[in-house]
Amino acid sequence: MELDPLVLMGFIRALIERQFMQYALITGVLVGLLAPMIGSFVVIKRLSLIADTLSHFSLAGLSIGIFLLNILRLPIGDPLYVGMMFAVIGALLIEALRSYYKNYKEISMPIVISLGTALSALFISLAGGFNTEIYNYLFGSILTVGRNFVYIIAITTFVIFVLIIIFYKRIVIISFDERYARLLGIRVGVFQFFSTIILGVVVSLSIETVGVLLVSSLMIIPVAAAMKIGNSFKTTLLIAILFSEVSVILGLWLSYSFGFPSGATIVLFNILILLLVIIVKKIFTSPHAEEATTFESEVQPE
Amino acid sequence: MRVEVQNLSFSYDYRPVLRNVSLSLESGDFLVVVGNNGSGKSTLIKCILGINRVPDKKIYLDGMEINEFRKWLRIGYVPQKLDDFNYEFPITVNEIMHVSRYSKMRDEEKLALFDRMGILELQNENINTLSGGQLQRVFIARAMVNHPDLLILDEPTAGIDSESEAKFYRIVNDLNDEGVTIILISHDLKPGKSNFNRIMRLTDGRAKTMAASEYFEKGVD
Ligand SMILES: Nc1ncnc2c1ncn2[C@@H]1O[C@H](COP(=O)(O)OP(=O)(O)OP(=O)(O)O)[C@@H](O)[C@H]1O
Ligand SMILES: [Mg+2]
Repeated sequence: MELDPLVLMGFIRALIERQFMQYALITGVLVGLLAPMIGSFVVIKRLSLIADTLSHFSLAGLSIGIFLLNILRLPIGDPLYVGMMFAVIGALLIEALRSYYKNYKEISMPIVISLGTALSALFISLAGGFNTEIYNYLFGSILTVGRNFVYIIAITTFVIFVLIIIFYKRIVIISFDERYARLLGIRVGVFQFFSTIILGVVVSLSIETVGVLLVSSLMIIPVAAAMKIGNSFKTTLLIAILFSEVSVILGLWLSYSFGFPSGATIVLFNILILLLVIIVKKIFTSPHAEEATTFESEVQPE
Repeated sequence: MRVEVQNLSFSYDYRPVLRNVSLSLESGDFLVVVGNNGSGKSTLIKCILGINRVPDKKIYLDGMEINEFRKWLRIGYVPQKLDDFNYEFPITVNEIMHVSRYSKMRDEEKLALFDRMGILELQNENINTLSGGQLQRVFIARAMVNHPDLLILDEPTAGIDSESEAKFYRIVNDLNDEGVTIILISHDLKPGKSNFNRIMRLTDGRAKTMAASEYFEKGVD
């Protein structure tokens, strides 16, 4: 990259000296870990819609939070809490509708997403219309996260990490072959219920980083890129986390240096990596490339 | 494992598929189930596996009423269609075995099982790179990974070559000799392939069961 090295120095100095930058970095690194970790189960289960649905529902909570705080002057602390609550309520709604529409399970998503979007529009207008706060929720504002948020996300990361380690085998078999998991006597319904709730919490926390509109990409794109390279589930997961962390740190740097929205830069770096992976993979697996190498080795004398 | 089915009738949405089916298998029995397409073979075994819910007091596994039965790890199952799982999921053969295993198995035992099924060299292959026949063997190995007492195989040799098929029957026969109860859905009844001792023919949801010896003497129908 053809950038002034001083810009990079400035970024590193800010990381050392400025508390808000440290918070942003910690948040970014933790979300960069959580999102693809959860996402590797989500993409695969063809449930990428869930992330979008929950983030839109969470936005409804955030706008209601702003309304309660700014208009009704209720001491609710931070709209974030209402947003998290709504993400969990959204998750419960999806589960309820899924068991109601047994044969058309995916219809639960458009229903919940509509409700979330409608409530958001309503309460954004009641709370005085579009403002910076709303803009930040839509597109992310990692540079403004506070100390409390860092605590919440650190605890969440820890809990999810422990849960995944304890239930690793069960979670993988459910994602890979749900029917067989049932046959093994695993209570698939219970696992799905809790994983949807966990997804809700992670989505609402990721909103601070990349915003409602880009949360799902944070979970999906690094995994999509990693799937092109990884052979086993474990390597795919590790590669996805690596891609995600690289994007977060590069994104944070550009976002700080040029004032770009953090969500946009992080997601664009993720997409850049995906493109590179696709291109590199194309070059290495093209039939012509193989022909060329065999030909070469054939003409080569011993 | 003993399997007892008593006058079981089963319908999907009011459409009757099984009519008054009864079956009694002792530990170590080897049952082959035959019947035309749609006669209810897969439906019957899905009832025995608890995939299809049945009323109380219709099926007993080792004397335990099926709705009370919890030791599902003791039953191995290879489904008829192998496209039920998630193709998008990046996972290797070894990982599938690892996450499907909930009872003790030493590493040597696992490798011996892989070797027996001829999938030793496929261990670290991604599931998406396997051929149909290889996939079949992986799923049979998966069915055996928890040391089942009952192995249920739904047309497991459909689409695999005759060499693999012969190997497969040898394995199933050996397992049966070791005392594992087998239920095999198969159209192939040539003697000398599988060592079945019982046979059930399903016709339109009605079952007729007899000993293998009787079948070879008189034929069925
Ligand atoms: N999940 C289901 N819902 C509704 N009907 C079903 C279901 N599964 C099977 N059926 C119907 O039940 C009948 C018996 O099906 P089953 O799969 O048991 O037959 P089968 O003997 O295994 O046939 P095949 O030889 O083709 O495997 C068929 O008419 C089928 O259409
Ligand atoms: Mg069938």
